[in-house]
Amino acid sequence: MATIINIKEEKALETKKFEFTYAGAPEPSLKNISMPIAKNKVTALIGPSGCGKTTLLRSFNRMHDLYPGNNYGGEILFEGRNILTEKEDMIKLRTQIGMIFQKPTAFPMSIFNNVAYGLRLKGIKNKTELADRVEKALKDAAIWKETKARLKDDANGMSGGQQQRLCIARAIAVEPEVLLFDEPTSALDPISTQGIERLIIELKEKVSILIVTHNMQQAARVSDYTGFMYLGDLIELGKTEELFVTPAEKLTEEYITGKFG
Amino acid sequence: MNKFLDRFFHLSTLSIALLTLLITGAIFGVLFEEAKPAIDAFGFEFITNSKWAPNLEKFGALPAIVGSIMSTSLAMGLAVPVAIGVAIFLSEIAPEKLKNPVGISIELLAAIPSVIYGMWGLFYFVPIIRDAFGGLGIGLLTAGIVLAVMILPFMAAVTRDAMNTTPDILKESAYALGGTKWDVVKDIVITYAKAGIIGAAILALGRAVGETMAVTFVMGNVHKIPSLITDPTTSIPVALANEFAEADEDLYFSSLFYLAMILFMMSFAVITFAKFAFLKRGRSAK
Repeated sequence: MATIINIKEEKALETKKFEFTYAGAPEPSLKNISMPIAKNKVTALIGPSGCGKTTLLRSFNRMHDLYPGNNYGGEILFEGRNILTEKEDMIKLRTQIGMIFQKPTAFPMSIFNNVAYGLRLKGIKNKTELADRVEKALKDAAIWKETKARLKDDANGMSGGQQQRLCIARAIAVEPEVLLFDEPTSALDPISTQGIERLIIELKEKVSILIVTHNMQQAARVSDYTGFMYLGDLIELGKTEELFVTPAEKLTEEYITGKFG
Repeated sequence: MNKFLDRFFHLSTLSIALLTLLITGAIFGVLFEEAKPAIDAFGFEFITNSKWAPNLEKFGALPAIVGSIMSTSLAMGLAVPVAIGVAIFLSEIAPEKLKNPVGISIELLAAIPSVIYGMWGLFYFVPIIRDAFGGLGIGLLTAGIVLAVMILPFMAAVTRDAMNTTPDILKESAYALGGTKWDVVKDIVITYAKAGIIGAAILALGRAVGETMAVTFVMGNVHKIPSLITDPTTSIPVALANEFAEADEDLYFSSLFYLAMILFMMSFAVITFAKFAFLKRGRSAK
């Protein structure tokens, strides 16, 4: 049985008996997951490779819908509605729930246009408004100093760490409610990783954060809540300091003490 | 021993590589040598003169050059948008089940010998054009259409390959910001594959400029700058294919070589340009 704590805070997202099956797969990859995600907190998802962390993360902005034949079951509640229904407007949903990927994904355009991209998709055309919001997003992503003199340069000329911050700036420019991070530092060096982690902690003032990580230390450093997943199940969700010190489930304990994984 | 083998390998590949340069040089040398009498006789005026009268020993290449440029531009104008559309469909829109069969049939189309396109154009297209626009049916428009049909599959296939190199994660990032399929195609896929698309177009252009068989059937070989798009005219390869057999005068013979040399330089310019487009892509991809 899973141990899921009751969170006191308001919930940004909540899954109820959530299931997910990939196209053509005989078995669901995620089974019966009921998980609350606290507002303005960082929730980390840990677990061995292939346990379904990323699959779960990509369900919240319905990324799986880009590929035909994938199936959702159960509910994901966001702003009082189930976002897994047919009538969900995915374009709008994805501006409310942003995503940062495993590798930096700077678009083949200038730094400015990268950050302005989501804003333009939202229909913002006014030049001063665009410039203001790009500047604000770059400042919030702690990369304004490095970029202000070269906003017109190709974004692919930046270092990996800078590009990942640029991607964060691009995601927060559209002012989402939730940000999903899919192992955001797995392609970065330790110094850049530290910078991104610091940024994640700062960002939770404004957005609720869900982060998938392979790195347990990272989960311990940045998150308020941690969920441990194993073979498509959510085994345990608890406060980070409690989960790592006094895990309720035997499986969790074995994983965090390195007995498998 | 190893050192010796290494050196042998180095020298043998180097000499083969140099051989290609030598052949290119030798072809140009022969063209120039044979064209020399015409170059001496007409000089630069050969290019600007539009009168081609073998019986009067007057030779001007302008109609053939203009015909080449116009038929090629017409073909590109028709083929480029369609090829990009086909490529977008194949790389981004088509369901998995359709991608392969359609992709393979396009590659097969690209492999059809051009003489077959020419025959098909003459017996199928010429009557249609004649009925629709009057005139002979043979002419610039028909040549442009047949050329377009001929270069389209090749261009579509290369463009699709270029678009397929767009990383999924990049497309997903744009979707994750609230992009629609159209936004992603227009801003991410086309931008990412831009150099490849331009390269494909230039390679297709190179093919169209030098194409002989397909257009010989349908262009007419009349040395006259067309006043109507349906008028028969000629292009450099068409003139060469048609006229060597009857070129009994030395100056006539030499003028055809002069034409060939101009074609050689035009193709060379196009491919050099293409090379630069590809090189630029290599640099930005790192």
